[in-house]
Amino acid sequence: MRRLGELEAEIMDCLWTWGRPATVREVVDDINLRRPAAYTTVMTVATILYNKGWLTRRKQGQAWLYTPVRSREAYSAALMEDALGASRDRSAALVHFVERMTDEEVAALREALRATGRGGEL
Amino acid sequence: MNAAPFFLGYAAAVGVLAPRALLRSGWPQRSPLLAVAVWFALAASFSVCVALAALHLTTPGAHLHGILYSCRSALGLGPSGGGLLPGLGLAAVTVLVAAHLIGFAEHTGRAYAARARHREILDKVGRRSACSRATVLEHAEPAAYCLPGRHPRIVISSGAVGLLSGGEIDAVVEHERAHIRGRHHLVLAAAHAFTRVFPGVPLARHLRQQIPLLLEMAADDHALRRCPRGALAAAMYTLAAGEAPNGALAAGGRTVLVRLRRVLAPAHRAHPALRCAVGTGALITPVLPVLLTCHAGLG
Repeated sequence: MRRLGELEAEIMDCLWTWGRPATVREVVDDINLRRPAAYTTVMTVATILYNKGWLTRRKQGQAWLYTPVRSREAYSAALMEDALGASRDRSAALVHFVERMTDEEVAALREALRATGRGGEL
Repeated sequence: MNAAPFFLGYAAAVGVLAPRALLRSGWPQRSPLLAVAVWFALAASFSVCVALAALHLTTPGAHLHGILYSCRSALGLGPSGGGLLPGLGLAAVTVLVAAHLIGFAEHTGRAYAARARHREILDKVGRRSACSRATVLEHAEPAAYCLPGRHPRIVISSGAVGLLSGGEIDAVVEHERAHIRGRHHLVLAAAHAFTRVFPGVPLARHLRQQIPLLLEMAADDHALRRCPRGALAAAMYTLAAGEAPNGALAAGGRTVLVRLRRVLAPAHRAHPALRCAVGTGALITPVLPVLLTCHAGLG
């Protein structure tokens, strides 16, 4: 399963980096620059990604041309919303370093830093 | 003698008075993990008391040995002597135990599913950072968080990477690693379960507020063992102040202030003698009601 996840990530990375529709052949060639990967494996995983809703595809001649459904930025923004948004499940699912604060609270923080003489380091 | 009033009185003391005393004392901030243990000892003690009170109300005149006896007979292991009432008491205890377990399981299950969904996307979108053992997420807003559990991830946004120095990022990662290694998400789930069973009790209300803060403090302490104070304090400030506030999220601000003051003004851990006494107390508290009534019953 771990290998599958890695290959999924690699395929998405290729397509996002290129920013254009690509065939499985192109992706396989790119992965093969770093390590060997079988065409059929990559094709299977691309189909899985298509079925999961990560990729769309259209036929060009004999081959499928794959395109990411959403940009990397859109997924990142959704994750951040999930992580920082006021969702009820958030408290236990994710553990934050710090919560975001109001202006007054930030001022109080700055005051605390200044009072101990460490404000200058910031 | 029916011990039910004693149990109810003890439960009231543990449920109302003990949290106040704990909130007023200063040592929890200096030994946060010990304080977590004490909060849960109080919670366990409260649950045991309520359970015993239920049993004693339905079996007047019994003390614990008698109850164990009726337990056995209810299960068909001994001569049956009870009527309907002991059965009711046992049912109450069973419901109480089940409510705790279900609350815990439901919370962990929901959080597990939420994390699995989040991680599946994260592993495709994020970039592994070789130096800091974290996943970097391309996003302008400075933020850091972790996905605890069996396949943990520490996530730092590229906005945070841009704002923090290398040492500060190390401090953030160490803090998050403490959460992951300490299985803090399970502790939070246990706190949630107790609060759900006894929603109105002051002990539950305070426990729910205090446990997350104490766990943050414990993680801060862990990070401070490996990183300088200035780095952790600066990282806290930068991440807390880095983005225009969103009204719904402002609630956490005060805890950051408490944590930051604590990081900046180092205090010694609570005295070993005090820690020892409190630890022993935490061990004894849950079984204290049983010990006391057994003694009374034997007398």
